[in-house]
Amino acid sequence: MTAAVEPYGGRGGSGGLADVIDSILDKGLVIDAFVRVSVVGIELVTIDARIVVASVDTYLQFAEAVNRLDLSSTEKKGLPQLLDDMAEGGAKSKTKGAIEGVGESLRESLQDTEKNEGD
Amino acid sequence: MISDTETAQDTVTYVYGIVPADVETEPNARGVGDPPSPVEIIRHGDIAALVSEISAARPFGRPEDLTAHARLLDAVAAVVPVLPLRFGSGMTNRDVVAVELLANNYDDFLAILRELEGMTQFVVTGRYVEEVILKEVLADSPQMSRLRERTRKLSENEGRDEKIVLGEGINKAIGLKRIADTGAMRDALEPLCAEITEREAAHELDAVNLACLGETGKRGAIRDAVEEFANRHEGRIELRLLGPMAPYDFVMAQEPQD
Repeated sequence: MTAAVEPYGGRGGSGGLADVIDSILDKGLVIDAFVRVSVVGIELVTIDARIVVASVDTYLQFAEAVNRLDLSSTEKKGLPQLLDDMAEGGAKSKTKGAIEGVGESLRESLQDTEKNEGD
Repeated sequence: MISDTETAQDTVTYVYGIVPADVETEPNARGVGDPPSPVEIIRHGDIAALVSEISAARPFGRPEDLTAHARLLDAVAAVVPVLPLRFGSGMTNRDVVAVELLANNYDDFLAILRELEGMTQFVVTGRYVEEVILKEVLADSPQMSRLRERTRKLSENEGRDEKIVLGEGINKAIGLKRIADTGAMRDALEPLCAEITEREAAHELDAVNLACLGETGKRGAIRDAVEEFANRHEGRIELRLLGPMAPYDFVMAQEPQD
């Protein structure tokens, strides 16, 4: 695996949807600071999809992940290979799921525009 | 002159950002809305606003709207300075954009655009590889290793408190690594950028989340710096460099005070 730096070609700009959310949802110049009367309050149906850092759930997930680890280099050998595979697969799919989850939850919220920020 | 009618109107003038007046949009530039609205330019003196007329009734903020907003501003930012407005900024009509937004704030906007001349934003994000970083934390901390030894033999429902202590310790240890790695990446970028801001971590495994404002001409050097850092942390941090993009992270401080 070479360095995972995205080339300038390709998608360029702000990247995928999750990156766009991070860049434009709560950043950029706030128009109300310059114009008061004629600003239209556009009701946004998007949600702030960022994951809350450092909750009890996060801690329990970390505990679970660390307990799944195969530390064959630092502890006695002979752990079943299956466990190793599971730990690796689990870790990978977890990360991927979290990234995709951003777009997912956004889309879900859009399907139900009545629903305001749930949490 | 307009406030009385603003609840009754059918369309809203959506504003993407402020640019120099000599900007031209491509005729097929696609904006926000469904179907995508054409992108128009409202000029005043040397500055202009990029706008689209959108329906006031439709729900706004679909993923397509977000990406259309970003894509337009990023394409412009690659060529000319741009002052991006926050996603979802709308005004009652084109005339008030010209007068209240552009004319009334002319000097401020012109000054900011001049400051941004030749500059563009890049974002560097890095995510720890979970398994690798967890092993690193255990190797660093005999206390965490002991806690792990105790809790891993327990069933799912047992030892919740101890597991929370373990997870909290890991989270804290990763937080310290994040500070160190972010600092190192920042040091490498500092000589190449006019300004750098640290974004809040968006994920518990975030290693680096930096936005930097740099001269467009330095992009090769910025990429080299990120690549060198990525190579040094290969297998440990997955790094990405985004940009050039509009300077979303560097215009907020420019708001005038009341």
